[in-house]
Amino acid sequence: MNQIVSVGTSHHVAPIEFRERLAFSEEQLTESLQCLRESDQVQEAVIISTCNRVEIYAVANSVRNADAAAKILVEFLSDYHQIDVGSLKKWSYVHHNLETIQHLFRVTSSLDSMVVGESQILGQIKAAYDFSRASGSTGPVLNRLFTKTFSVGKRIRSETTITTGAVSISYAAVELAKKIFNTLEGKTVAIIGAGEMSELTAKHLVANGVSNVIVANRTYERAVKIAEKFNGTPFAYDSDLDFLIDADIVISSTNAPDYLIKRRSLANIMRKRKHRYMFLIDIAVPRDIEPDVSKIDSAFLYNIDDLEAVVASNLKDRQHEAVRAEQIVTEEAKRFYDQLQIFQVNPTIKALHQQFREVADTELQACFYKATLSDQQEAAVASMAQAIVKKLLHHPMQNLRCAVNDGDADHGQYVQALQELFALDVSDENPE
Amino acid sequence: MINFLFLVTLLIYLAASIFQTLSFAIGNRSGAAVIRPTIERVAFWGTTIGFAFLTLFIVLWWLQQGHFPMTHWTDSTAFFAWAITLIYLIIVRLTHLRTLGSFVMPVAFIAILISYSFATHTAALPEPLQNYWLLAHTTLIFLAYAAFIAAFGFGLMYLITERKIRQKTDALLDNLLPSLGTSDELGYRCTILGVILLTMGVIVGSLWTQYIRDVPWRWLDAKVISTLVTWFIYVAQIGIRQFWGWHGRRAAYAAILGFVAVLCTYVGVDLFLDSMHTYR
Repeated sequence: MNQIVSVGTSHHVAPIEFRERLAFSEEQLTESLQCLRESDQVQEAVIISTCNRVEIYAVANSVRNADAAAKILVEFLSDYHQIDVGSLKKWSYVHHNLETIQHLFRVTSSLDSMVVGESQILGQIKAAYDFSRASGSTGPVLNRLFTKTFSVGKRIRSETTITTGAVSISYAAVELAKKIFNTLEGKTVAIIGAGEMSELTAKHLVANGVSNVIVANRTYERAVKIAEKFNGTPFAYDSDLDFLIDADIVISSTNAPDYLIKRRSLANIMRKRKHRYMFLIDIAVPRDIEPDVSKIDSAFLYNIDDLEAVVASNLKDRQHEAVRAEQIVTEEAKRFYDQLQIFQVNPTIKALHQQFREVADTELQACFYKATLSDQQEAAVASMAQAIVKKLLHHPMQNLRCAVNDGDADHGQYVQALQELFALDVSDENPE
Repeated sequence: MINFLFLVTLLIYLAASIFQTLSFAIGNRSGAAVIRPTIERVAFWGTTIGFAFLTLFIVLWWLQQGHFPMTHWTDSTAFFAWAITLIYLIIVRLTHLRTLGSFVMPVAFIAILISYSFATHTAALPEPLQNYWLLAHTTLIFLAYAAFIAAFGFGLMYLITERKIRQKTDALLDNLLPSLGTSDELGYRCTILGVILLTMGVIVGSLWTQYIRDVPWRWLDAKVISTLVTWFIYVAQIGIRQFWGWHGRRAAYAAILGFVAVLCTYVGVDLFLDSMHTYR
């Protein structure tokens, strides 16, 4: 009887220092999936590794092996990343079956994300699943589970409003820009320094109509490199910030220890650009832009905390939508779990029926060979044999189905017992 | 009959103003998302129907008086409300920004309320003034006022949005108001429109003086001076914006200052100063 197990860690339970030690690079993923597949207890595996979470989903082939599989996953992580099992247990969680399904549904629907309703996680999980499937480490159970989780994620996105509005920092920045400028078309964004967040924000801005990108960096080579991604204009800056005259939106994320844009210099620039609005986003820590800049009339300054606060207040507004989403997750997870049980029990039931029928058929043939019966008598005996098979199997099958439907944890053991006692061959239980 | 029509108009304007204000006040709160479109629709169509009624009232009043009704607060404020609504409806037609109504419709309602409270008063219009000069002069001036009030509405919208953006946390919660750039730009266009209309109104008025023989005329009239001051405030606004790039918050404050000037010219002069132009 297959068991779904997951071991993982996320921003909810572990600090970044720990998460980064657990993260897998792409090469490591291939290697790890292969490693996991080689162990006897693990049938299928998917590894998800994002900046906020590292999770392994695995399928073990028996209840007995479920704990063993969980243990193997923990030990694997501990061995692979050189982390002692104690701290791993402290900073991570282990889920079984229904819990696992529910957890994955929550993660995919972004209910478990740092920013509830963010849209990146669905893609990240899709990519992780595709990667695992391509490397051959998934099977019928995880294939079903992940297909379902994507459809649940979609359902939640369409039936609730948890994803509408600015739910991530980069989107909050785009929404704010739309609140300031009457159109983003023809506007220019300047990225100072480098960083994933600033590039992502710039990308969103371009997607929303911003037409020019200026990439400024201390070194020209680096500016050129980043500018290529946006078809932008590279710029090496020194103390001269005149490139800001053309910039309507400024995203700053340098490692400079001091303020790069000061109130006085910006006031000069604002004069030169005839006081057209400028939206400044400071996502650097320590900050790049002097806070006093926001006292300039046409300049609007948001730092990383401000953006986070905007996001937080949006989220608070949508909190009750998340409650509805949780209800959908619970309902879908239960339904999927039941289906999965039936899906997993069915081959055993089928195999048992077949075995009984085969025995009856063989015995009937033997009987007919020994005794000469009329057609009518043969038919009567044959139907009696079938009735006996049916009646003998009636109670065990009914009880097994009841155990499955009641969510009885023992049914796995029943299935196991049946398979072992009757030496059933259910190797062809993978219809997919 | 005509009084009953006026009462109905007043009540429609009251309802429209309440719904206009309400649709803005409840904002985009998650619970309100369902009913807000309905409120907005009621507010807008209330405004449109109110405008139709008011037009009918003015036409009937005109026919009853036998000349363009512009003799007393009754006619004048009713016409003022009519001009405000007309400009509002034109702006909605062009920009689809119904939210502006939350700011200008209460002003229109107050104008009608004043008008209604003076409804029994009428004053005789001197014979020499009963001509199309009066119609052209007052229509232009009142449409200019209405454009300035729209600019004032956009100024308020600008200031509210700007405050939200500067306060940061609630910046994105309420999506009813247009962006800063939009409010600023539309406010500016309304100001330009107002200045053009006011200029034309003043020119028509001063030409008119050349044709009046029987009514004494003096140039140093309080209303004339006050109007010139108002005119100057708006023209200066446009000039400073063009040459020094002043816009945004300063333009919004200027629109409010202009609004005060309009009120002084329209109401203040009548109440406190002696003028040729009084509605008494």
